Amino acid sequence: MTVTSAPFLALLLPPLVAALLALVLPPRRFLAGVAHAALALVSLGAALGLIHLVLDGETPTWGPTDLFRVDALSALLALCVAFVTALAALLGPGPGRDQHYTPAQIRRFRVFASLFAFTMLVAVTANNVGVMWIAIEATTIVSAVIVPLTVSKASVEASWKYILIGSVGIALAFVGTVLGYFDFVTLVGPRESALNWTVLLANARVLHPPVIELAFVFILIGYGTKAGLAPMHTWLPDAHSEAPSALSAMMSGVLLAVALYAIIRWKAVVASVVGPVFPNRLLIGLGLLSLAIAALSLVIQRQYKRLLAYSSIEHTGLMCMGLALGPLGVFASMLHLVNHTVAKSMMFFLSGRILDRYGTPEIGSVSGLLRVMPWTGGLFAAGMLALLGLPPFGMFLSEFTLLRAGFADGLGGLMAVVLVFLAVAFVSLLGHLNRMLYGAAPAEMRVGEGSRWDVLPLAGCVAALIVLGIAVPAPMTALLHRIVEIAGR
Amino acid sequence: MRPWLLGPVQAAVALLLAPGLVGAIRWMKARLQSRAGSPPWQPYLELRKLFAKEVVVSSNASWLFRAAPFIVFGSTVTVTLLVPLLAVPLPFGGAGDLLVVVYLLLLGTFFLALAGLDPGSPFGGMGASREMTVAALAEPTMALAIFALAWGAGSTNLGQIALRTLSMPSEALAPGHVLAFAAIFLVTLAETGRLPVDNPSTHLELTMIHEAMILEYSGRYLALIEWAAALKLLVFFSLLGNLFAPWGVASVITPGALLWAAGTLALKLLALGGVIALVETHIAKLRLFRVPELLSASFILALLAVTASFLLR
Amino acid sequence: MSPEMVSQLSVGGSTLVLLGGLMMLWRRGVAAHIGAFTFQSVALAATMAMVGWFAGDWQLWAVAALLLLVKGIGIPLLLKRMERRFGSERELEPYVNTATSLLIGGLLVLLAYIVTAPLVSVSRLPTRTGMPLAIGLVFVSLFIIISRKKALTQVLGFLMLENGIALLAVLGTHGIPIIVEIGVFLDVALGFIVMQVFVYQIHETFESIDVEQLNRLRE
Repeated sequence: MTVTSAPFLALLLPPLVAALLALVLPPRRFLAGVAHAALALVSLGAALGLIHLVLDGETPTWGPTDLFRVDALSALLALCVAFVTALAALLGPGPGRDQHYTPAQIRRFRVFASLFAFTMLVAVTANNVGVMWIAIEATTIVSAVIVPLTVSKASVEASWKYILIGSVGIALAFVGTVLGYFDFVTLVGPRESALNWTVLLANARVLHPPVIELAFVFILIGYGTKAGLAPMHTWLPDAHSEAPSALSAMMSGVLLAVALYAIIRWKAVVASVVGPVFPNRLLIGLGLLSLAIAALSLVIQRQYKRLLAYSSIEHTGLMCMGLALGPLGVFASMLHLVNHTVAKSMMFFLSGRILDRYGTPEIGSVSGLLRVMPWTGGLFAAGMLALLGLPPFGMFLSEFTLLRAGFADGLGGLMAVVLVFLAVAFVSLLGHLNRMLYGAAPAEMRVGEGSRWDVLPLAGCVAALIVLGIAVPAPMTALLHRIVEIAGR
Repeated sequence: MRPWLLGPVQAAVALLLAPGLVGAIRWMKARLQSRAGSPPWQPYLELRKLFAKEVVVSSNASWLFRAAPFIVFGSTVTVTLLVPLLAVPLPFGGAGDLLVVVYLLLLGTFFLALAGLDPGSPFGGMGASREMTVAALAEPTMALAIFALAWGAGSTNLGQIALRTLSMPSEALAPGHVLAFAAIFLVTLAETGRLPVDNPSTHLELTMIHEAMILEYSGRYLALIEWAAALKLLVFFSLLGNLFAPWGVASVITPGALLWAAGTLALKLLALGGVIALVETHIAKLRLFRVPELLSASFILALLAVTASFLLR
Repeated sequence: MSPEMVSQLSVGGSTLVLLGGLMMLWRRGVAAHIGAFTFQSVALAATMAMVGWFAGDWQLWAVAALLLLVKGIGIPLLLKRMERRFGSERELEPYVNTATSLLIGGLLVLLAYIVTAPLVSVSRLPTRTGMPLAIGLVFVSLFIIISRKKALTQVLGFLMLENGIALLAVLGTHGIPIIVEIGVFLDVALGFIVMQVFVYQIHETFESIDVEQLNRLRE
């Protein structure tokens, strides 16, 4: 083990600095935007550096009693968070892009989005599960502040549901954390480092199965609420559809993944205490329920941002199930997580562009998208096909692997049910997409892309999805294999 | 002194003290409200007057109407033989434990409600249905609260419960004990028709409960019922006093100890009566549909009492 | 202090803390709700201090003092300010009526017993006896949040939920590591402040803090 603070500081400090800068710099200045984006890119670079370290076989730790620790799983999540944060910094509310935001709103967004990124990065790099909980609870607080960036009845309602359900859920996760600590203290005695994931895992053999099972139920309900697993998902479609698109991208793209990350961490501990059967059963149950509810809800949606939100529930459900399907399933699930992060954040940015131009969130009022905004429309179509799990996009590969893992585990019947729900989602998403892409553009609609350069990073996302679909890059495969060693037992 | 005499002595003392208790509460209440009030012995005079008056019975009433006062009075007097008023253990204690006590009291309530329905007057019916609503919630609470005590003492015999607290004084402040006390106190308010559940000082309210049931009674029947009601109040008070703070109760049967026990009992009754007077001066009557809320609250207290005693076993 | 004494005090303290939650179910007025929460926080701080004394742990004293300061004094003050604004909006018709609510509360406490049976059997601490009541409070608080209609009541339910967890931690483990404890505290305080801002915002946008009106986003 090496003790190095540089990569940690490079990862965690930029968002804090960005929040401070956004607070003091006038938000309309070009410089402010550049600084904001540059800092996000520094974080992204640090995440890549950490992945490099991890692939070299190192597990960097930092802080007193190894408060922070980065293994392959943390590194992957840190990369996802930093990636979406960078996208949000490049494409989020800023001068000239979205005319309807006042400078005060832009400032507020930058400050809290940076803090949001910071809390998520802390959550995925913390070794101490207590600190992880604190960080995830903080994500709710800082992101809820900017859900109603423009105050309306709908956005106030969404933010209230979000903060209340989110906080209550996460509080239940803390009950689970306390119960885990309780069991540890009862057996081993009080210790400052007792909440460290590594210490918990090392002592897993002696912990009491009934206590840890109870703890896991609380943890699954708690973090599952944050991850948008049914039936605790009710806040998610509202918050995702009412938040500014850049925030929706961050929430859907990585916040759900971060909550899932917390579940993976605990699942590893629980599986070494009580064996894999108990946690797997719960994960499959919740995952399947989420998949079912999301697929059926997709059929009746009338707004495209809500459509994307329900699709997030669907994919989180899939990932959750994958975690329970043995090593291959974990591999598929993590690959799916990466794909989903790229695809869904891109889709929310695109839907933000559509919302800006059409001024309506209704699917029925958006038509002729390909004619009005050819690039946006094209990318939107590509992203939707990716979310449907069609080749050549990455999700085809990950979903296919996941199903194969299920069949290999002897869960053929279950996988058949999963396929049925995927088909339902497929048909309804495709129907909604057709309605938006084609047809006559509304009269007096301005034709042509708005801010042209913004399309570039989004096109990059599509390219990344295609690369992930054709051949997963070797470093990524290596990283995923290391994650399987951590979480796949 | 022969032990079996103890039962009748207890009953006699209770019968003697009961009207005085009611009078004392009324007098204290009047003083607290800066009124002169009638003297504490007024209820004795009322009873004497009622026994002397002629009885008027509705022509619609059946035998039930005439029998009910005796059943009510009889069952309440029987209870005084079983609860530890003066001494423990009691000669008839073995014949009845807390369940018998609770059900004897319920028997009286039941017949009173029947008698309220019997003459067919609208007030009687209303009072009876309300009384049953209250009793349905109050009785289980009562049983549960005493059960919490019984759990600690390892016996449902009231005398044993009192003895246990006598031998382990620290038990008196155990959480289960305190909660059970609070629950039984609320039940006492409801069962004996005190504020905020029922207003004992009037029979002119539309929402009255006890007074509505007995509106048709007169003469010696009314006297018996009033006396039984006073006795019931005394029984509840002495349960509160002697189960939770049994000091003064005689555990050896000598005239001196019994006299001392009677003295402390009178003191406890007066103290609790003072509390009731204070409560009734301070709070208003609850609206009828909020009464079940109060009683569920006391049920919860009793439940918590049981859980607390269970936890500490 | 003898272990039996500590057991008794733990159960007594936890019962008081739980009673605070049940009082929320019983009463309807905003002032009574705030009073119940304040009472609960003070009882919690006292229980913590008692455990701290028994365990000889100064950190618990510090946490108890902090708790008294924030939840016993600070937050109630902010709540009272809200009461002056929304005090007229009493919890008149909750989704579940008061009597039923109380009975459900009792059932939830019993459920907590069943759920926590493995915990109590595992631990050797004398304070373990109060743990079922702490989990009971967690359940009761969840029920408050689900069954009540006013945003302010829901916030109070959330705060009580946090109190329940704090009680669980102190009884079961004699306090979680101080760094986590302080972080949790900050989170709760910040969360409360943000929720408070939202309650004002709901009032401004909907001219009432009844969450029944929050029904625009459906399907």
